[in-house]
Amino acid sequence: MNKTANFASLLQITPFALVMLLLVIVPLGIIFVVSFFDYGYAQIIPSIIWDNYTDIFFSRVTLDLYITAFKHVAIVWAITAVLGFFIAYYVIFLVQTNFWKAIFLMACAIPFWTSGAIRMVSWVPLLGREGLVNQALVGLGIIKEPISWLLYSDFSVLLSYVNLLTLAMLGPIANSMAKIDQSLIQAARDQGATEWQTIREIILPLAKPGIAIGSIFVITGVMGDFFIVKKMSGSQINTPAGSIMNMITALEYPPAAAQSVIMLIVVLGIVAAILRVVDVRKELTQ
Amino acid sequence: MSRRRRSTSFYVLSFIFLLFVLFLYGPMFCVYLLSFQGPTGGMSFPMRGFSLTWYQTLFEGGRGVGDLGNAFWRSMRLCVIVAVLSSLIAVAAGLAYRRRFFGSNAVFYTAIMSMVVPGIFVGFGIALALSLFGIKSDWWYSGVGAQLTWSLPFGLLIMFIVLGRFNPAYEEAATDLGATPRQRFLYVILPIILPGVIGITMAGFTSSYDESARSALNMGTGNTMPMELTALLGAATTPAMFAVGTLTTLFMFTLVIGTLLIIGRIARRRQVRLNAATA
Amino acid sequence: MRIDPGFNALTAPLPEVEEAQAGIQKYDVEVVAVTKKFGDTTAVDNVSLRIPVASYCCLLGPSGCGKTTMLRMLAGHEFVTDGDILIRNKNVTNESALNRGTSMMFQSYALFPHLSVIDNVAFSLKLKKVAKAERHARAMDYLKLVQMETMAHRMPSQLSGGQQQRVALARSLITRPRVLLLDEPLSALDPFLRVLMRTELKRIQRELGITFVHVTHSQEEALALSDVMVVMDHGQIQQAGPAREVFESPANSFVARFIGGHNVISMEGRTVAVRADRCRIAEGIGGRQLAAEVVGSEYQGPVVRLNLKCEANGDLSALIPDARFFSDPPKVGDKVTMSWLAEDEAALPAA
Repeated sequence: MNKTANFASLLQITPFALVMLLLVIVPLGIIFVVSFFDYGYAQIIPSIIWDNYTDIFFSRVTLDLYITAFKHVAIVWAITAVLGFFIAYYVIFLVQTNFWKAIFLMACAIPFWTSGAIRMVSWVPLLGREGLVNQALVGLGIIKEPISWLLYSDFSVLLSYVNLLTLAMLGPIANSMAKIDQSLIQAARDQGATEWQTIREIILPLAKPGIAIGSIFVITGVMGDFFIVKKMSGSQINTPAGSIMNMITALEYPPAAAQSVIMLIVVLGIVAAILRVVDVRKELTQ
Repeated sequence: MSRRRRSTSFYVLSFIFLLFVLFLYGPMFCVYLLSFQGPTGGMSFPMRGFSLTWYQTLFEGGRGVGDLGNAFWRSMRLCVIVAVLSSLIAVAAGLAYRRRFFGSNAVFYTAIMSMVVPGIFVGFGIALALSLFGIKSDWWYSGVGAQLTWSLPFGLLIMFIVLGRFNPAYEEAATDLGATPRQRFLYVILPIILPGVIGITMAGFTSSYDESARSALNMGTGNTMPMELTALLGAATTPAMFAVGTLTTLFMFTLVIGTLLIIGRIARRRQVRLNAATA
Repeated sequence: MRIDPGFNALTAPLPEVEEAQAGIQKYDVEVVAVTKKFGDTTAVDNVSLRIPVASYCCLLGPSGCGKTTMLRMLAGHEFVTDGDILIRNKNVTNESALNRGTSMMFQSYALFPHLSVIDNVAFSLKLKKVAKAERHARAMDYLKLVQMETMAHRMPSQLSGGQQQRVALARSLITRPRVLLLDEPLSALDPFLRVLMRTELKRIQRELGITFVHVTHSQEEALALSDVMVVMDHGQIQQAGPAREVFESPANSFVARFIGGHNVISMEGRTVAVRADRCRIAEGIGGRQLAAEVVGSEYQGPVVRLNLKCEANGDLSALIPDARFFSDPPKVGDKVTMSWLAEDEAALPAA
């Protein structure tokens, strides 16, 4: 009967495995292969060259792009981690009734039911020169002239990321926190720990898996974005992902593929490093 | 947990939470408000009058609206297919993982990678593969397929969580009482994991609705909603966009709340039936 | 299935399982040289056992001794690595759990959370496509047997542990098994309820005339319930027999220690077990004696348990009737002589 059970499992996993193979492994493999190809005008020439890679490595532009991306990642990660952690702490530990916990968490999720493109445009009436924020600041007398760097700048890009990705950090952290046995907290208080000490010594370490998972979402979200950074900076700022997208639209596939391979290695490397900290499979099955 | 006197941190964090919610809803608020922009008004404040002009434009067609009507229907059929396929395939896969089998680790890590890899790479890879093999892209295979690369792994994760809490003794008890594997699945497993399955279906639907990074390059002719909206962003944008945003949020809201209410209704009606039978 | 008005679900004869040729049915369960290995670990080691028809059999032992694995192999939820299992003379070693004529009651009760009590009990009938009215009627019969008929339409989450257990029992019995397998059924109950429930279990076993195989780590429970008591350790049967026989004549020092109420004493080259209640701490009783020091005493109602320490033999105890104890209570640190009669000794193999 063990044999039939295993066979049943193999049957059940086949559709899933097939999708993974055909739509993930094969395409990524093709990207790898094409990255070595030559190209002409809107043509891929299947002969192996190294130029695509050498172009990347010997170009100052590449370094600049990655530095920009890492800068974005670092800032967004820091902000979303702090925000996500404390809001999760608030909802899970300080809000008493389950009813309000559910309402609050839902409230955080609702804005995401609006299309991403529209949310992007909606920053204009908020942050633009005639936007609400500027009008409020001028009206309150804090500034004399509307600020222009609220929109189409680093600031707006980062603001947009934080707006989009805090929930991605908040969710997993809240999930980890919810699993913490309440009696541990009570035991800590019993031993004389203040609230802050409890957070630092008990809650933070136990929420690490959630922080790790949230970090993965945030980092891949920022690194992989080509759209927000372009629109919110008015096409002034570029990142590796943006550069890849430019090449794709210009039909220069092999160099785009080469850039993609490099980026994939970087991103997957970061994810693998984070996964050393948390055992994903254990997290999910408890 | 009895009601304690609220600590300072509660008030401080309540305030921060409030600010955060305002921050999340700030842009949304502008969208909802500006959708009622007057006919001479633009994409920003001030409001030049209060009107339903832009809603009208949506339904009558006009500038700034593009092909949104068709795009919406294309999105809907895509979302439904992705939702259904996601739940079927992910549920089967989740069930497979209750035992060890050949390749279980490989599939698991591929799934994680698929979910985590930025969408543009998957989209690019699929498009490249299709063009290399001389296959044209079309929404019902490459479009759906691209979106499945996210929703399937997500569904698998939900199944892990749901099945993790599932007491294996239920299945053994069912077998003990004479259930065939089919009966075991239909009468015991499925009813218990049903909330999870519904969650996977909803996640498939809502993720497909706003998905463009993976699928944009693989959709064939005809834009989906997110693609059409993105295209309109560059062109002459009018407050009709905001009208779209308001309406679609309303639509999603109704859908999700409606589903939750129906589930709640069914649960409550069953409880009433039980209470009556016991009385 | 038609309803026969004279049909009483409980006393109607059980469906006969195929019998061997010359068939007086002596044993309900036969375990023949069964071994179970999990990878490199041997959980059950070449165990053989015969359980007579309509008897209450307890598998007793410490955690990890293999008793639960043994039970699950009888049920068919675990497959044997080697050996055979016969239920009512039919070799069921390779049969799945469905076709064995056994039914299992799980430690966690495993009541289906999405079905009401009566639907839980009627579940096996629903699988056989019995009509709703009839299967509910039969389920009610069994609910009455376990005195849960008033809760028929509650959900499992609304029941207490003891109530859930009774529903689980009804659910297992409705399949008319020949052998009922119980996996530590009383562990999750509080002590008072435990005593009540075990009386119920024994009563039902007698009434139905089937065999119960009951896994427990409580010697008191095993002594109270067993017609056949099987003490296991490290995957092997240490002793099997009627409860009185095991208690009066333990087969080795493990059984003597595990069964409780015995002192294991090595002196003059022999090892013996002596019941603690046959040990006294007065001088000059005659027979055998041993020097010991009082370490503490525990009042237990009708007796007082006196904990002693002996140089060569470690921790010993004597159970002294309360009146005698309190007439001259020894103090901690007192040096006393523990004595017993030679005929109260049970010889044990060395070590």
